[in-house]
Formats: sequence, structure tokens, C-alpha cells
Amino acid sequence: MLSLIVFLPLVAAFIVALSPRETWVRPVALVLAIAQFVFSLALLFRYDPTTPALQLVEFFPWVPALGVSYFLGVDGISLWLIILTTFLLPVVIAGSWNAISQKSKAFHIALFVLQTAMLGSFVAMDLVLFYVFFELSLVPMYFIVGIWGGTRRIYATMKFFIYTMLGSLLMLLAIIYLMFTAQDVLPSKQMTANILELYKLDIPFIAGQFLNPQALLFFAFSLAFAIKVPMFPFHTWLPDAHVEAPTPGSVVLAGVMLKMGSYGFLRFVVPLFPEAAEHYAWLFLFLGSVGIIYGAMVAMVQPDIKKLVAYSSVSHMGYVMMGLFALNTYGVTGSIYQMLNHGVSTGALFLLVGMIYERTHSREIEKYGGLAKVMPIFTILFFIITLSSIAVPMTNGFIGEFLILLGAFEASQFFGGLAVVGVVLGAVYMLWMFKRVFFGEKGELVKDEHHPLHDLSFRELAVMAPLIVLVFWMGLLPNNFLKYSKTSIEHLVSTKDAYQLAAIDSDGKLVDTMIAMRPVIAPEIPSVLTAEAK
Amino acid sequence: MTAAIVSLKDILVSSPMIALLVMSLIPVMMKVFNGNREPKPFVTVVYSLLGVIVAIGLTASLSGMRQTAFNEALVFDGMSVWGSLIVLFCGGFGLMLAYDHIETNAAQFSEKCFLMLGSMIGMLIVVMSNDLIVTFLGIEMMSLCLYILVAMSREEILSKEAAFKYFVLGSFASAIFLYGIALLYGTVGSTSLPAVAMKTGELLANHNQLFYIGMAMVILGFAFKVSIFPFHSWTPDVYQGASTPVTAFMATAVKSATFIALLRLFQHADPSGQSAFLTEPKFLSVLSWLAVLTMMVGNAAALVQNNFKRILAYSSVSHSGYLLVGVIAAGFAERIESSLAASTVVLFYLFSYSIMTMGAFALVGIMEKQVGHALTVDDLKGLASKNPVLAGALALILFSLAGVPPSVGFFAKFSLFGSAIEQDLYWLAFWGVLNSVVAVYYYLRPVVAMYMSEAPGEIRLQGGVLARTTLVLTAIATVIFGLASSPILQFVSESVLNRL
Repeated sequence: MLSLIVFLPLVAAFIVALSPRETWVRPVALVLAIAQFVFSLALLFRYDPTTPALQLVEFFPWVPALGVSYFLGVDGISLWLIILTTFLLPVVIAGSWNAISQKSKAFHIALFVLQTAMLGSFVAMDLVLFYVFFELSLVPMYFIVGIWGGTRRIYATMKFFIYTMLGSLLMLLAIIYLMFTAQDVLPSKQMTANILELYKLDIPFIAGQFLNPQALLFFAFSLAFAIKVPMFPFHTWLPDAHVEAPTPGSVVLAGVMLKMGSYGFLRFVVPLFPEAAEHYAWLFLFLGSVGIIYGAMVAMVQPDIKKLVAYSSVSHMGYVMMGLFALNTYGVTGSIYQMLNHGVSTGALFLLVGMIYERTHSREIEKYGGLAKVMPIFTILFFIITLSSIAVPMTNGFIGEFLILLGAFEASQFFGGLAVVGVVLGAVYMLWMFKRVFFGEKGELVKDEHHPLHDLSFRELAVMAPLIVLVFWMGLLPNNFLKYSKTSIEHLVSTKDAYQLAAIDSDGKLVDTMIAMRPVIAPEIPSVLTAEAK
Repeated sequence: MTAAIVSLKDILVSSPMIALLVMSLIPVMMKVFNGNREPKPFVTVVYSLLGVIVAIGLTASLSGMRQTAFNEALVFDGMSVWGSLIVLFCGGFGLMLAYDHIETNAAQFSEKCFLMLGSMIGMLIVVMSNDLIVTFLGIEMMSLCLYILVAMSREEILSKEAAFKYFVLGSFASAIFLYGIALLYGTVGSTSLPAVAMKTGELLANHNQLFYIGMAMVILGFAFKVSIFPFHSWTPDVYQGASTPVTAFMATAVKSATFIALLRLFQHADPSGQSAFLTEPKFLSVLSWLAVLTMMVGNAAALVQNNFKRILAYSSVSHSGYLLVGVIAAGFAERIESSLAASTVVLFYLFSYSIMTMGAFALVGIMEKQVGHALTVDDLKGLASKNPVLAGALALILFSLAGVPPSVGFFAKFSLFGSAIEQDLYWLAFWGVLNSVVAVYYYLRPVVAMYMSEAPGEIRLQGGVLARTTLVLTAIATVIFGLASSPILQFVSESVLNRL
């Protein structure tokens, strides 16, 4: 089941690659994307929300000598992220119907490969497998930004690639170290990259001292994920990448790829290094709140709408990090919810910005103004998403931010207070931008008689409709979503110092996720032509 | 010493070399008996490839054998098998490239093939050698053929300069190497590697200065051949000056053979079963610094190059640095088992590096024909829209060189840093990782040129079925061997662990 979800997009990529005509590519891709979304919804029925265990587990040894396995599983933490990923793809494809005019086949192949990599990193329960998917996701995104991006695309895509790779390679070292530690410490005396086994490790930690194994491992992992999230001060690649990326690239980047970072914190950093996470939580609360305020302040002065949205991303992800490192049920729940919200509302914002950019080929706020009179439907949709982004009650953003603030206040009143300042600033920059773009004097682009602006087409409405529905659905009935994650989150928060997960396969049976001992070295090697000799 | 009678096992062990020798002589003989008329290049390359294939077949079918030959001068074990196979495959692909390249497939093609096969014989000797003097002979045989091959390029000035540089510096290095052997002989009383290993611990404990100097000189000789900082400065010039197939051959086969010889130097155990050098931290720290500096110099220099061949040359320097990390892990492991495991990893890395480098040079060869001057990164502009297959293949190879999973390059790096961490060489692994990040920049520049820029003019690529096959095969291999790295590693490690 999970393998199918992960690799269906790859199959779709092949089908798209084989499609004989360029004009067929988009419809075919859209149908395939919708199909994989519908298929992934079956997860909700197969998933049992009453147990925190890892479910629908698939387990095969991959590199037995190193204890690396092909190990997939889903629990309440990753469930919604998977659905978010599959949900955004058809939206993105439909939303970029006209935006990508060149090499559309290659573009859709890249999107589908990216989809596989992202889904894979959400379900991989083996550190090496996770790393493979995590890194693989860079490649298609690198091409998406680099080929279909704006004028400074090459600078942006290089920076994105190298920056992310820097973090993740240090994580790779930490992974290898963990695997050897497992060999020394665990009763099986065997190397393993299986995350369920590694949870059992008790890595020595000395508070107040930086050079001890757990703190170093903690920071190696954290750096990789903090760059991905991105957390202040590692966020500088994000505005570049967002601004240069084509609209669909921005949506996927903001909607899903950033979540791979925050998901990594929840899945790996906190349960693997609980003492270090607790000890250094203040640092992350601090950086999170700085990110919220800094992102908001910088967003305020941006002349470019897309850049403004990009910095708002930094700010929003600051909330996610705060909630996460509040390390209590409210905070973590809010942080997961905020990840989904951010995917929906920032994704929608990027789509809207893309729609107006397609019409005017400009994103400068100054050149707009009075857009409300010309494009009323667009204005209404933009307003709804703006409200969601600034967390007005009844929208999805409110639930997430409220829970995070609850959690943050419980963890530290000071940082909670800082985050509240951020909420106000968030409202300021979004509403000010809204005012400048939609009200007041008509800007030069809006009153341009030669190029009258048309309101949204049916396709664009159809793209936005599910997002708008979600904004209210998630805002009014959060329990429809949260009930699936509740058990897992409570389990994580209450037992994080000795976190353990059981693994259940699709029939509800417990799975033994230990690999058999290293095979004994054969005394005689038959002299055959080897794999290499072919 | 027993009387020097050549027995059956000696012939068996040296049979791949004999096959190469015989087949290399045929085209040259045909030329001699035909009134010095060049035989058809196709005939030449078929004979040479046949020799390589027969040698591969012989090596593979003997792979279960664990023997020493010629009074223990040669040893045939798992490392020999895999080392020979890597060398032979590189040689085979090198021949294919040479046939398809306008510079090499011209006058004196039969001589060039003869020299390449001769060089491969030298490499096989280096790979199997169990004695420093024999190693020296192998290195000389391999190098002499290469000196001539480098000089035989049609490109006048650069090639001659390159050959001269390579020859003079190479001779210096050989002389130093030989002097080192002499000093070792003076202290140990033998040049056989197991004998040296037996005495190493004792001599190091006594701080025998002569032994230190001798060992340092021997290592220096190896360092020159595999272009380890500060003995790397010839690499870019020679790689650029030599014709591309020869460069491809040198960058892969020479490096693999020499690294395996270096491994053998470190890998033998002393009587207590410990790795011989473990007791001496000085060697460890010097070699570690050399590894770190090699990576840094190679990567930093590659960043500012625009000539694609020079980029690959510096990339080859930096890969020597990574490989040295693996050699250190093998040489300073506590137990001989982990030393052998680390050796396996080095072999795997050599194998993956050879595939990728061979593929990259194959593309250089294909493109060079039409560019007419040194291939720069800018010449690759727009290749993706003109020839998606070639561009895709090169992109795969470059991503693999950069170490992006799930390519073979990633798994090679993964296991290499893994063996470093197993020996607590955290700083080395750390530097290796940082350098891999730097390297991403220059590996991705050609990708940017191919996919994200438009071609300034028309790109015309010529014929070259063999070179294209090489490129596509290697590109596919980077993915397949990446995903299937586990059985390969397992297989190699079993055969390496199964020693004499």
C-alpha cells in the first residue's frame, strides 16, 4: 500500500514520458495526479487512529551487512503530510496549466519524481532510506527552479542545492555514527539504521557541555532540518528560491518540501535525542520567535509580492518550530496543524500571485492598486487566503497558531509573548499589502487600457475551490483532522524520553523489524562471472 | 630460496597478463609483416578488446584461487581479482574510446593499442604484487607506456609539454620510490610486503629513523602516481595535454592500480594480528593531513576552472583525497577484519569512481571532436535540447560524482565515510563531507550549462557508437550499481576477506 503510494508518481512519470504529444501531457498528468490523490485517501480508511503504532508497515532487508532496510510505515505524525503532498500535486498541475509553456513534458516528469521523493521521505522509517529520499528530492527541484525559473534562477537553484546538501551531509555522518553506536550498544550487536531500533538507544548526554555525543548528533540532525525548514538564520536560500521558482515550484517548495524539515524534527530529532532536545529547546524557541518577528518585519518592506509571501513563510515556519520545541501536546499538535495550514494557505497565496503574474508579468506591489474593482472574484479569494494566513478565527490558521501559542506559553511565557507580537506583525504586513494592491488609486498596470485585466477563469476557480474549502473545513472542524494524529502525538510527548513504537503491517499483525544476523562468510567462493564482469 | 622453476600455478596466475601480451603483439606484428602499413583500426581494436575480454574471463574464472606465484612475488587473492577486473574494464572502455576518437584513431593506432595493453600488464603486476621491487617494476612498466601515449597525441604543444612534465616528475618519483625501497631493505632485510609488515611494529617501536624515511619515500612514490597533494601539480596539465581516451584510461586505471598497491602496503598484519602501523600515530596524522589537503586543493582548484577536462582532473585529485581516507581507515584499523572491510570499501569506491570518470571522459571525447579546441563548460550549453540522451547520461554521472543518492557515488561515499567513522576518524569524515558539498558546485555547473542555458550555435556530434555506448552504459551503471550496491559489496567483501 505505502509502496504503491510512493512509487505511483514514478510510474506516472514514465507514462508522461511516453506520451507521444506535448498537448496530451497536461491532461494525462492531471488525471494521474488526481488518481494518486484518490488512492492515497484510502490511507484514511486503512489507518487505525486508536493506536500510536506504526501502521501499514512494509519491511525488507536492503543492505543487510549494514543493517539498512527498506522500511516504510505511517503514523499520526506523517499521515496528513502524505495526504497534503498528494493533494497539492493535482492543484499544482492544474494551476500551472498555462504557466509552463516550454518543455512541459520534462516539467511534469520532474514534478512526479519530486512527488515520489517527498512521499518517500515521509514514510521511510530507515534512516538511510530516508536520507536517500530526502536528498533525491533536491534533484527535481533543482531542475524545476533552474529550467523554468526567473532571471536569477541559476544563482537561486545552486544556492538552494548546495545549502541543503551541506546540512544533510552532516546529518549523514551522524546517521553513520548512530549506526555504529547501535552495533556497540544494542543487545543484537548489529549495525542498524532502523529507526525503531535506534529509538532504543540511550546516547550519553552531559548538560552544559557541547562536545558530547548526543549534543553533537542533535545539532548535526538539527542543522540539516533547520536549513530545510528553514529556520532563522538559515533561511537565506528560501526567498531566492521562492522568487525565482515558477509558481508550481514555489507551491510545492512551500507546501511540502519545507515540511520535510519540520517533520524530520518530530520524527528523528526529538525522539532520538530527547535530553538534548529538552536542554536546547530554549535555543529553538528563541530562534523560532526571532524567525517569526524577523520574517514578518522583512516581509513588511518587500516591494515584490512573491518575496513578501516567501518571507511570510519564514515567519510561519517559525511558529511551527516554536510549537515543536514547546514539547507539549498543545504545541506539537499545533505545529503539525500549522504545517498543513501553511501548505494550504501559502500554497494558495503562491498560486494567486502566479495568476496575477500571468496576466501582468509583474509582481511589484507599487504597480498595482485598485485591483478590487477590476477583478472582484480574485479579490475575494485573495482576501480569504489572507485571513487564513493571519490566523483569523474560523480559518485554519487560527487553530494552528492558537494551539502553538498555548503550547509556547506553557513552555515559556517570554517566548510565548514574543510569538504574540509576531501575530500582530503578521496581520500588519498581510493587510497592508492587501490594501496597497487591491484598494486605493488604480496602479499603472491596473488602469492600462491596452491590456485590460480579466477576472479568474473557470480553471483558476476550480484550482482555488478545494483550497478555499479546506481553509474553512480545517478552521471550523479541526477535529476531523486532528483525531487521526492525537494518539501519536500524545504518545510522543508523554514518552519521548523512552520513545518506542510498535510496527503493525496492513493485516494488523506485529512486524519484527530486526534483520537476521550478518551472514557468515562463505569459506569458498565459486568462480563465476560476477555482477561486475557483465 | 627455492630454485626458480616456473610451475603451473605461476602460469595460471600470470595468464591474464600473457593473454594481454599476446593479443597486444598481433596488430603490431601485422603492421611489421605488412611493410609497415597500418592495419585497419577496426581489426586492431578487435584484437585488443579480445585480449582484454580473455583476460577478464581468465581472471574471473580463477577468482576462487588463493595462490602466490613466482616465489611469492605475486599474490592472487580477492583484492587481486577485483583490482584486475577494475583495471581491465577501464582498459577495455579506454580502448573503445580510443577507437572512436579522432586524435587516437589515426596514424600509429596499433602502437597505441599495444602501449595501452602493455600499460595494463604493468597495472596487473602492480595489483598482484606482493613485493616492493615487483611493485616498482609494475609501476615503471605502466608509466613508461603512458609517457609515450601522452606524447603521441596530435595536439602539438600541450601534449609534448604534458609528456615531458609527466616523464620528468614521474622519473623523480620513481627514483625516490626506489630509494625508499632500498632503505626499507636495509632495515628490514627483505622487500617482501609480509616481511616488511612483520618487522614494522618492532622498527616503529624502536624509532628506527631509516625505516621512517624509507617508508615515507615509498608512500611519496605512490602519492605521486595517484596525485595526492602536494604531488598533484602534474595532474591537470597532463590530463589536459593527453588525448582524451588516454586521459580517461590514466584517470581510472592508473589510480585504481596504484591505490590497490598502497592498500597492500598498509594492510598486512604484524605477528600479533594487528595492523602494522597502528602503533605509530605520526603516520596517521601526516596521512590524514595529506588526505584533507588533497580534497581541499582539488575541490578549490576545480571551482575556478572552465575547461571541462581540467575540472575532471581536479575532481580526480579530490577523489584521491577521499580514497586516501579509506586507505587510512584500512591501514590503521585495530583488527585485520575491519582493515579488510575498509579495503573492500576502497575497492568499491575505486570501482564507482572509475565508472563515473570513464563516462564523463567519454562525453568529453564525443564533444571534443566538433568543438575542435579544449572543451569548456560553456560548450555544453543547450546540449539537453539537442541531444537529451547524452545530456541525461552526463547529468546522471555528474550527480553520482556529487554523491546524490541513490547513485553509486552516494553509496561509495556512504560506505567510505562509514569505514572512517568505524575507525573513529571523525575529523577526516567531517572534512570529507564538507568537501563533498564544495564539489557539488562544480559538478553541477555542466548540468546548468546543459539544461538551463540555450545553445549559442549548433551542436554537431559525430559518429562514435562505441564512445556513446560507453557513456550510456556507465550512466546506467551508476544507477543500477547504486541500487544494487549491497550484493556487490557483499560479494567483494567475501572474496577479499577470504584470504590466503
